Formats: sequence, C-alpha cells, structure tokens
Amino acid sequence: MKRVSVDIGGTFTDCFVAWGGRNVQGKALTTHHNLALGFNESLANACRDLGVDVPALLSQVDSVRYATTLGTNALIERKGPRIGALVTTGFKSTIPLSRARGYGEGLSEERQMDIPNAQRPEAIVPIPMIREVRERIDYLGQPFWPLDEDDVRRCIRELVDAGAEALVVAFTNSVVNPAHELRVREIFLEEYPAHLLGAIPMLLSHQVAGRKGEYARSMSTIMDAFLHATMYHGLGTLELNLRAQGYDKPMLVNHNSGGMAQLNSTDALQTVHSGPVSGIAASEHLMNQTGLGNVVATDMGGTSFDIGIVDQGGVKHYDFNPVIDRWLVSIPMVHLVTLGAGGGSICSYDRLFKTVKIGPESAGSDPGPACYDRGGLKPTVTDADLLLGYLDPANYANGHIKLNPRRSRQALEDLADALDLDLTEAAKLIKKTVDANMANGIATELRTRGYEPKDFTVLAYGGNGPLHACGIAAVLGVDRILAPPFSSVFSAVGAGNMNQMHIHESSTWTVLFDPNLKRFFSDYAAFNASVEELERRGREDLLRQGFDAADIRYRLEIDMRYGNQRVQTAVVTDLNRLDSQRDVLRLMEQFHRSYGDRFGEGSQSPEAGVRINTLRVCSYVEQATAAFSGIQDDGRAGRTATPVGTRLCHFPGHDGAVETRLYDASALAEGTRIEGPALVTTPATTYLIEPGWRYYAAAQGAVWFTRGGH
Amino acid sequence: MNDMPQKVELSGEDQLLLDKFLADNRLFLGPDPEIMRNHKIQPRSAMEETALAGGLDPHQVHHVRGLINAALSEAFTMVNQMGAAPGAKWGDLVTGIYTAQGDLAMIAPHGIIAFAACCFYPIRFIIKNWIDDPTVGVRDGDGFIHNDARYGGVHNTDQSMMMPLFYKGELVCWLSSTIHEGENGACEPGGMPAAAESKYDEGIKMSPFKVVENFQLKRDLVTFLQNSVRDPKLQLEDMKVKLHGVMRLRERIIAILDQFGKDMLVGTLRSHLEDTEAEMRRRIREMPDGTTRVLQFMDSSLRENALQKISLAITVKGERMIMDFRGTAPQFMNRSVNTNIASFKAALCTGLLQNIWPDLPHTMAVLSPIEIISDRNSIIDAEGEMPQAMSLMPMFKACVAWTIPMNKFNYSLPHKYSAIIASQYDQAATFIYGGITQHGDVTGNFCGDINGNGQGARSHADGEHSVSPVFGFMCDSGEHEINEEDTPIIRLGAQRIAKDRIGFGKYRGGMGYEQIATARGSGMWGFMTGCEGSKFPSAQGLFGGYSCPSYQLLKIKGINIFEELKKNPKIVEVFDIVRLMNEQPIKGGRYSSNDMGMTFELCDEGEVYMICQGAGGGYGDVLERDPELVMKDLREDLMSHENAWDIYRVVYDREQLVVDVEATAEARAAERRARIARSQPFDTFVAEWVTPEPPAHLPYFGSWDDNRRIYAQNPAINLKVVMDADQLQGVFMPNPKDLQIAALEAQLAAQGAELEACRAAR
Repeated sequence: MKRVSVDIGGTFTDCFVAWGGRNVQGKALTTHHNLALGFNESLANACRDLGVDVPALLSQVDSVRYATTLGTNALIERKGPRIGALVTTGFKSTIPLSRARGYGEGLSEERQMDIPNAQRPEAIVPIPMIREVRERIDYLGQPFWPLDEDDVRRCIRELVDAGAEALVVAFTNSVVNPAHELRVREIFLEEYPAHLLGAIPMLLSHQVAGRKGEYARSMSTIMDAFLHATMYHGLGTLELNLRAQGYDKPMLVNHNSGGMAQLNSTDALQTVHSGPVSGIAASEHLMNQTGLGNVVATDMGGTSFDIGIVDQGGVKHYDFNPVIDRWLVSIPMVHLVTLGAGGGSICSYDRLFKTVKIGPESAGSDPGPACYDRGGLKPTVTDADLLLGYLDPANYANGHIKLNPRRSRQALEDLADALDLDLTEAAKLIKKTVDANMANGIATELRTRGYEPKDFTVLAYGGNGPLHACGIAAVLGVDRILAPPFSSVFSAVGAGNMNQMHIHESSTWTVLFDPNLKRFFSDYAAFNASVEELERRGREDLLRQGFDAADIRYRLEIDMRYGNQRVQTAVVTDLNRLDSQRDVLRLMEQFHRSYGDRFGEGSQSPEAGVRINTLRVCSYVEQATAAFSGIQDDGRAGRTATPVGTRLCHFPGHDGAVETRLYDASALAEGTRIEGPALVTTPATTYLIEPGWRYYAAAQGAVWFTRGGH
Repeated sequence: MNDMPQKVELSGEDQLLLDKFLADNRLFLGPDPEIMRNHKIQPRSAMEETALAGGLDPHQVHHVRGLINAALSEAFTMVNQMGAAPGAKWGDLVTGIYTAQGDLAMIAPHGIIAFAACCFYPIRFIIKNWIDDPTVGVRDGDGFIHNDARYGGVHNTDQSMMMPLFYKGELVCWLSSTIHEGENGACEPGGMPAAAESKYDEGIKMSPFKVVENFQLKRDLVTFLQNSVRDPKLQLEDMKVKLHGVMRLRERIIAILDQFGKDMLVGTLRSHLEDTEAEMRRRIREMPDGTTRVLQFMDSSLRENALQKISLAITVKGERMIMDFRGTAPQFMNRSVNTNIASFKAALCTGLLQNIWPDLPHTMAVLSPIEIISDRNSIIDAEGEMPQAMSLMPMFKACVAWTIPMNKFNYSLPHKYSAIIASQYDQAATFIYGGITQHGDVTGNFCGDINGNGQGARSHADGEHSVSPVFGFMCDSGEHEINEEDTPIIRLGAQRIAKDRIGFGKYRGGMGYEQIATARGSGMWGFMTGCEGSKFPSAQGLFGGYSCPSYQLLKIKGINIFEELKKNPKIVEVFDIVRLMNEQPIKGGRYSSNDMGMTFELCDEGEVYMICQGAGGGYGDVLERDPELVMKDLREDLMSHENAWDIYRVVYDREQLVVDVEATAEARAAERRARIARSQPFDTFVAEWVTPEPPAHLPYFGSWDDNRRIYAQNPAINLKVVMDADQLQGVFMPNPKDLQIAALEAQLAAQGAELEACRAAR
C-alpha cells in the first residue's frame, strides 16, 4: 500500500507516508497564506527519507488524505461570508439567545461561573440578518401552518439586499418533514438563478443535521455555511497543488465523525476538529492491529490536553451536540474532551487553598513559557519541567527553541515564596498538580461512560505527552503507557487509516414499549424503511465517489432512552431490520445491557417505556491500512542503550536530586530497554521515565512505559 | 374556670426527669428550630479534630479535593443524563458531599447550589433523630428521601436522595443528589401550586425517611410515592436515577478513602469549609465599614395584588457582616409565597456566589460568617404551618438582593472579584403545565424557559440577554422541538426578544423573550404561571439605571388557533405579543391582560397564552449611553425609535441609523437642563412625597418608615393591621373567588333591587 496522509495543524503540517511496507514521516511549519507550501515541504522531508522524489511518489500513491484545522482557524479569525438566516416565525431569537447557556460554551468552568462577566461570542449571524417566515410543522411532521411563499420571497430579498453571501434555512421540525425547507430552495432558485447573482449558497438545516433540536441544528447549518468558502478554497488550492505535481486521483478529506470522503462529498462542518479526531482514529487503528485492549488516547500539546476513548468491543463514543469554538452544534462527532492543560498552562498561587493552581490561562506559544525568553513573565508547566531537569535547554523542539532556565527561575520565584517552598519543591508541586488534573480529567471521562481506568492502556502523544505520561498514569492507577509510533505526527497516521464513511441520521418517534398500553412496537415496515432510506443515502454518497456497491458496509446505531430521559444511549446493533416481537425484545435487551454497563446494573427503567430517538447509519468501505507490527512488548531481553550523560533531576515523591541517565534518539532503536529514572531526548519529544517505571522501545518508534508486573 | 397555675420551682433533678419524659414522648418530629435556624458550619467534631491534628499537607488536600470534585462531576453528569424530569434535563440538579455532621462541604461544579445548601438540614435531622432510633437507624446501604422544604429545601417540588457513607463501620460523610422533579401531587399539577391555601394542598410532603435499604429501593414505599403523584413514571425513574447517582459517588469516595485514608478525606472536607469561611472573612475585612440598603417588593401573592416589602440593610464592621431583614412583610396564612428562613438563606448563599463572588467554592461556608437577622413569622421566616409552595418568590429576591447593596460597597475597592452588576430579572417566567399528554401520560411540570432570565447591566457593558436563571449558571433553556415530542405544548413564539421591554441605562440590562404557547392533541391540558412583577418591576437598576418594566400574562381564549390558521394562513402576520394584543387579528377571541400569577387553568386546544421572560436592570444614566449602542439596539430591533428619543435623547437618521453627534449632544444638554428645572430641594421633596403611613389604596405589607412596626393592609377587604415586628401574626386573605362571588351577588342584589323598584314604580 502506498499512501500519503497529512494533518495541517495550527503550527505544524505533519505528513505520514506508507510506502510499500515502509512508513515515514515529515514535518514542516504550516504556511497559513498558502497551505500547499507547508504541505510540499513536509512531503519533501518524508520523500527525502524514502529516496523518492515528490512527483514520483504522488503518481504512485492510492490516495492523499487531509485532516485539517482550517475550519477551526476560520472560526477563530471569524473569516467567513455574511450569512442570512430564515427561521420559523416565533423562533427569531433562538439563534442569538443560544439556549441561555451559550454565553459559556467552550469556556473554562471558572469563566462559566463568572456570570457577572458573561459575554456571548460575536455572532456569526447577527440579529439583523435573521428573518421569520410563516410556516410551522409539528413534531410528527404534520404542517399546521402552510409555508407563506410571499414571506419567503420578501425575506430572501431583504437578506440579499442586506448583503447576504450565504443563506441558511432552519425551520422547526424540518428533520421530520423537510418539505418547507425544500420549497424555500426552489423559490430561491426561481427568484435568484445562479446566473443572476452568482453563487449564493443556500443550506437547509435538515440536510446538515438529522436530529431534533432547533438551536443546535441551526448553528450547525450556520457554521457549515460560514466555513464553506474557506474550506472549499483552502482545500481546492491543495487539490490543484496535487494535480500540478502529478496526483490524478480525488483528494480525500478526513471527517470529525471518524471517517472520510472526497472533497466534493464533504460538509465544511465535518472537517472541524478532524485533526484531533484523526489521532483517536490512529489509536483505534493501532488497537485493532496490535491487540492493545481498551485505549484512552491523550494528546498533550502546548495549550491543551485532548482525551479520546477507544473501546475494544467496538462501542463508539460520539458527541451528538459537541461545542465547536463557542457554539453548540448538532453533528455526530467522535467524542473528544479538551482540558486546558498543556506545557504553556500558567501556574499561580491559590490563596484560598494555599496551593498551586494550574491554568486555565495559557501562555500559548506567544509569548510562551518564561523560559522561551520571548517576554513571558508568568511561570508555566514547561518552566517547571525545565527546572526539574527534564528538558535539555539546548535541544528543545529539535533545537528550534533555546530555553533559558534563568527566566524560569525568575518567573517561579514569587509563586514559590507564596507557597513557602523552594523553587525545586514548587516545580515538583506544579508537575504533580498538572499530572493529577489531567488524570482526574481522564478518570471522569472514562467513569462517566462506565469504564475503569485500570482497564485501559494510555496512549500518550503530542509534544508534551511522553513527558508527563508516567505522572498521569501513576495518579490514574494505570501501569501501561504507549507512546505510539510516529507519535509526533500521530494525527496524520490516523488520517491515513480511516475508512471512507458517511453517517446519516434521522430523528424518529418510535416507541418500542409503551407502558401505558402495555404495547410493543410492531410497525416493522416503517422502521425498516427508515433504515433503508439512511442506507440509500450513504450508498449514494459512496457510489458517487466510485465505489462498488458490493464493497459497501453498513453499521446501524440506535439512540434509545427510557421514558422521558434526556440521555440517548447509542446501541450498535447487528439487527439491521426488525421482523418480529423477538427482534424488538432483543433490541431492548441490548439497550438494557449498554445502559447498565454505563450507569450501573439496576439503574434501568424499562417500566417507564423504551423509545428510539435517532437512527444512525454509518455507510463505509473498508480500505487497506498501514501495518504496525511489533508494537507489543514481547518481554524478551532487549538491547541496552548507552547513556549520553547524566543529569540531576527532581521527581515528586523523591527527596533531593536524583541522578538521571540521559539518552539520545538512538534509544528509539527497537528492543532498547531502560530502567527509570531516565530521559530520552529526541528531535520530536522528550520521554521521561520516572523512578519505578521501565522503558521499552518497540518497532517503528513506539515506546512503552510500564511498571509493576507489566 | 381554670386559673393559670403558679409556676412551680423545679429542682435540677426534677427538671432532668421532665426533660427526659418530654424527649421520650414526642408527638411529632417536626422541623427542628435548632437545626433549621443554624446556617453556620458546626464546630469541629472529634473525628475532624483527629484528622486535622497532625496538620494536613494543603497540597495533598488539594489533590484529594480534585478527586472529590471529579467524583461529584461524574455523578452529576449521570443524573443529568439519566434524569427524566425536565429539571434534570435542563440543569436544575446537584450532587453534593457533606461531613459526617451534615455540613455541606462540596457540590458538583455545575450543580445548583441552593439545592445542596438546603440539603444539610434534613441530613442533620436524620443524624439527630434517626441514627439512634431503633425503629429507623442509619446503616450502610441506607438511602433517605426528602422533599418537604420545612425540613430544609427550596420547595417541595425538589426531591433529594441522601446516603450515609460508612467506611470500616464508621459514618464518615453523607452524599446527596437532588433534582427539581416537578410533579408532586399538589392541588395544582407541576409541583408549585400557587393556589395552595394550606400546607395540606402542597401535595406529598416527605420528611426525611428511609426509602433505600441495602442499596435497593423499597418497593412498598416507592409504590406509596407513585400513588401520591400524578406522574408515577417520573417518580420511579428519577428515584432510581438519584439512587444510582449517589451510589456511583459513594464508589468513588470509597476509592479515595482506600487510597488516602479516612483522616485525609475528613480533613479535606473540613478544611475546605474552614478555608472558605476564612476567605469570606478576609473579603469582608477588605470592604469599607458601613451600611447599605435595598428595598425589594413582591407585588402579588399569586392570588391577588399585594405589595410585600423585603427590607435589607447590610452592615459591615471589620470582619462582621450583618444582613438585617427586619421590616419585611408578615407571612400569609393561606398564600403560598412564604418561605422558611433556612430556604431563604440557601437562596442568599446562591445569590452571593452567582452575583458577587462567583470565584468562591460553592459551599455553605460562604454564608457561615454572616449574621442574618429577620422577624419571626415574616414572609421570609414563616413558621411551619404556612404554605410555601411558591417560596421561589421571596427566594428569588434573596438571590438578587445582594447586587445593589454589595456593589455600593465594592465599587471603589481596588480589587474586584467580578463585575459590578445591576439586578437580574428575578421571576420564574415560564409555563408550568399539567394534564394528559398526546401519548396518554399524566404529567405536570415546567418548561426550561425558567433558565433564561435577562442579566443586569454591568459597569462596563450591557447585560447579556437571557443568560441564566437567578439560581444557577450554565443552565439550559432547552430545545422546543424536543419538548414538543413529550408534551402537547406547541410554541407559536418560542424565544423572541421582547422589544422595548428594557432596563434602560448607560448600559442596558440584558433582555428577556416572549413565550407564546398553546396546546394540541390532548384531552385535558392546562397552564399556570407563578410570577410576580406585573405591576411593580422585578429587576432594579443600579446607579441611575432603570428597572425592567412590568410584565403581564396575555391570553386569547375562545379560539382555536390551528383552525384559524387553516382557514386563513395570513390571519396572523407574526406571533408577537404587542401586535397580537393591539391588532387583535382573530375575531371572536377573548383578549385579556392579566397578572402573571395565574393559578392552574385549563387551556382548550388552540387557545393562546403569552408571557415574557424579563430584562435585567440598567446601569447608569441613560443620557450617558453611547449613541452608537442605541443605533445597534435599533438595528437589532430591540427597541423602537420612540424610545431612542424619549429615553436616550439621540438624534439620528431613521433610515440610515447615522447619529447626528452635535444634535444629540445638544438634545442631551437640554434634557439635563430640563431635569434641573424639574428638580426641587430635598426637604421639599420629602415634605411632598413622604407620608407617615402607606397610602390607604395600596394593598401593602411590611414596615413603612419604622422597621419595628409592620403594616398589613388590604383595601379590598378593609383590612388594616399594624403589628409589632417581634409579635408578627400571619395574615389571612379571603379567597379571590369568594370576593368575586360576593361582588357578583351584590351586583345581582343591586340590580334585583332596581328591578323591584321599577316594578314598584309601575
């Protein structure tokens, strides 16, 4: 298999190339003005290792795949068209009021609690660009107020006159009957044919999000419209760049659903956060190939700490209403939690509890930690790491950033005084606290979903991941950590190993068991027709991209609930059709088990009724993936690496300085075993093996940290 | 005749015997004043002394605190996701951990503080009464349920599950989970019966009792509770939810105990309380000494007009803070707007954390250093027999009572912990509903719109529109598509910003929104609205800012809007309250404007009910508002051109919304001159304005100019009583229906007499 996958991040453009059994990586700075330049450089770096020139490589690969933060950046910069929105009469303030809680979405808990200083984000669709149209459909899809076409024409005209460059239609209950939204589009095309005004895109909410919830669906549609042009032009430029270099196949774009599609079959919203989600996909791929068991994927960078869950039993964890930037949207996105903890997190004195507080503010990369010597004056986690001896001042970030320990000491002085600790003890406290915070975040995530951390292998990647992995795992009670192969380009690895997949959802009012009437669901034809329709849509998406119908697979996921609960537990079922009461009972049993696993046996309430809220069909085509063999520690005696020196380091729980052996990148050679305490510094990252932990370098640059009997 | 006997002198021994007899022969374990009147954290217990004796490492304590927080958060998420009550879905819930003595130590980060800040009272009740009672006892695996606010609680619609946590055979802490459940079998559906004339109309009243043994719900008691409410499904589901939430929390806390030991857990909980209390005292010390005041008024008993005063003076002396509520209206014997002092204090705790110092830990210790003075038998300190189903009315006032007096203290302090802010709109402006759903379920509850009160303006910015309820943050006003699946309520106006209904100021308050509802597909459905502020504004401005306006309940009865829309889809141009009421487009409808305190009323299919979520108070002088902000409000259709001139005195081009800067400056200068011309010396003003007693036409309750004398006057029934504040009696109000019947009978009699006179004249 020959394939290129790319993760275009805010700082770096990472590239992973699978080349007939060889896997190599490339890295370059992201060139925001023209993403193709960074891509070319990153790919050229990888090609250099392979000894192949870029056009030759591109002409031979089966695909080029992108995960990108283009959308995220466009949101941060508020770079997008002026959007007009048509909504149902009576709902004109739904978008600006953002379910009340919109003031705090995407913010730290501290800022959410500070209501007197609440400030909603600048609106993507300002109030003057929202118009109400007379129409109304009820929850079952029955219209009780017909669409007023005069209203539609007037509102569109007003919005176009007001400078709308894109239009969004978000009518109430359109997901159960899209007739009114579809008619609006027809009217729009009648009134404004493309040749008249050029292309003003009009997006219909039911086509962007299939589930109920008028606010979240409206925001999804608005975001899609807002990001569309940026994504289209950005990715289009990349595709042209590929063409110019000899690549003649469709470019594939990774989605935040964990799948991917061709550019022309991709909604802009599906690409947001596709980079971090690709990291989770890479974790899943690794788990499947190497039998890791359950995996919790952690990505610790400069400003944030991302957590994802991969269940060996195939249970998928989605956020159906994820927050993107500052807005709640409706899209099935692979579950991803971001904590405000990274190397740049600022440390301060917590007067109330007489201890250290980490974050939520971050020094980011500009000015960055104090030791970067770029004007940062506040102490950060990286400053503490430096003072504890973990970082090599001359070789940080492959020598690109020279660290100044004097700045770290200066920055930490006041904090240490307030804590009544010396600098080293204060730095140890910072390390211990940030590790505990991240461990608590992981534990909460796992346990809320019914898992126990001890049943997981922690995957640690991102620039700071291998540095803090032992500390986090110790708090969690986990004894196995894997810094995966190609960990510094891990999202690019994931991007290269996803399946082509489309997810289609539909809201439904399906009562499997009605306790009032003691009746079980029996309209199998209706249920099956709904599933078939979702399969048809997925099939068409894939056929359009040139796949053979015989290769298409479907996975049915059903969101169910008891009584009037809010929770919708996703049940993955092999029952793609219902044909009997026995099937209905089986489905309820599956739900019963999933729910009990998550919330505790006995917490189920089938006596209150069992209902299906959403049907979701994932249509996909399985594709060849890069092979990762030899990742597991086979327990054989390994090779011994030669230290390149020693350094005095400090560790929480250990008094005084501990002489710590130092290793260079040669310690990544397969089979190398090292006992902690030790440090392995490579151009991409630093591996900190804390006392009591062992290091084992597996194949392809994968590194294990273990302790105890493991 | 029985003469009062002479008081008998008792020996100490005799007294002990009598005391023992009384203790052994108690008729009824009612709410215990010793528990209910004490909002302070308890002195350290022996267990806490032992835990702290060695001096705990504060960093280790913080680590354990993080673990407890994670556990509380996990349990909160579970309850939020599993809960069936709308309150659980939209954020009205909490999970908490208490010391072995029952002090509330910590709550889940997103939980509703007031729920937990009340819950320590029933826990203390259990500790005091049930632990040693051989017929009850407190053992590992037990769970206690409770909803009666008289034993601690916001109101009887909230149900709590409380579980003791035993470790190695010893009780080390308590855990709880509380949800605003809604339906509780009261005389009106939905759990908040404004029509309750006595506490016996309030539905099920659970004093704390054991409903779980060996971690299992007792089915006989569950059945009893299901039988006592309209929504047995909800009752069962959420009892399971709360139990399993608390059990999950227990599992996590036991893991912490296993890892760190009992002393560390006990010490962490205790030092969390003590550290918070110490920080409170430090912040009070930072404030200047002095007294600031605010007067708040509730304008309705939810049955009739009644101006009820809540008087507050905050005095700071060194590290002492005294909140003096004396002079507040007396309790009503047969109206539901009373609250007990314990619940009121829980609301005070909430308001302090929400509006003044949101960075403090959410624990009862924030209130511990504050001295609170109130008149017994006042509306905020009502005794147990008084109905208090709509205790939210005074409690919501407590939530916002802080803003004006505290911001007067804090305005000039060099360090501010949050923004200077005017009052948030403080009413439960949502539809409470009940009846049979389109699916045949009997239900009663409320809509998530309660969570979208407009925010007060800040010293640096306009208030945010519909930002939160007064009692919590990151609460959710919900999605109507989802609500319509569960109930027959159809929202014709979901959330539509209420144009022109603004707390004006240099910075304006955040605005509320219109809610227009009807019902469809139900055999029986109805609404109630438990709001005040239809005559007297609910949110006060700060430093010259305007209050919010008053808001009414509007109805269009005698129509079926669905039929009307079918006949003529253009009959309504837009569901906008002002236009519907001014234009009255549907012929034959009975349009009416009403007080927002509506007791439960049946709604026929297609009849229209309209209410408003309100705006926050304004900040500063309207003439100082940046004219460009006025233009922005116009562009966003928040305000009419008339108000831009009448209130703000801005001159601009109405088409282009371009400000004429010079003309505006001149118009504002002219208005300032006019203000001076209208003004009068203070003494003259006082002489003209101040009266020795409340005006006779006002239904007025509370002190006038002397907090020791409390008025209760209602001209509708010729009631006028003046009471000494320390001897307050409850006020009994006639049933408004009786008054209406009497008026109609009088009218009939008069017309009969006229008729007779006519006949006689013939």
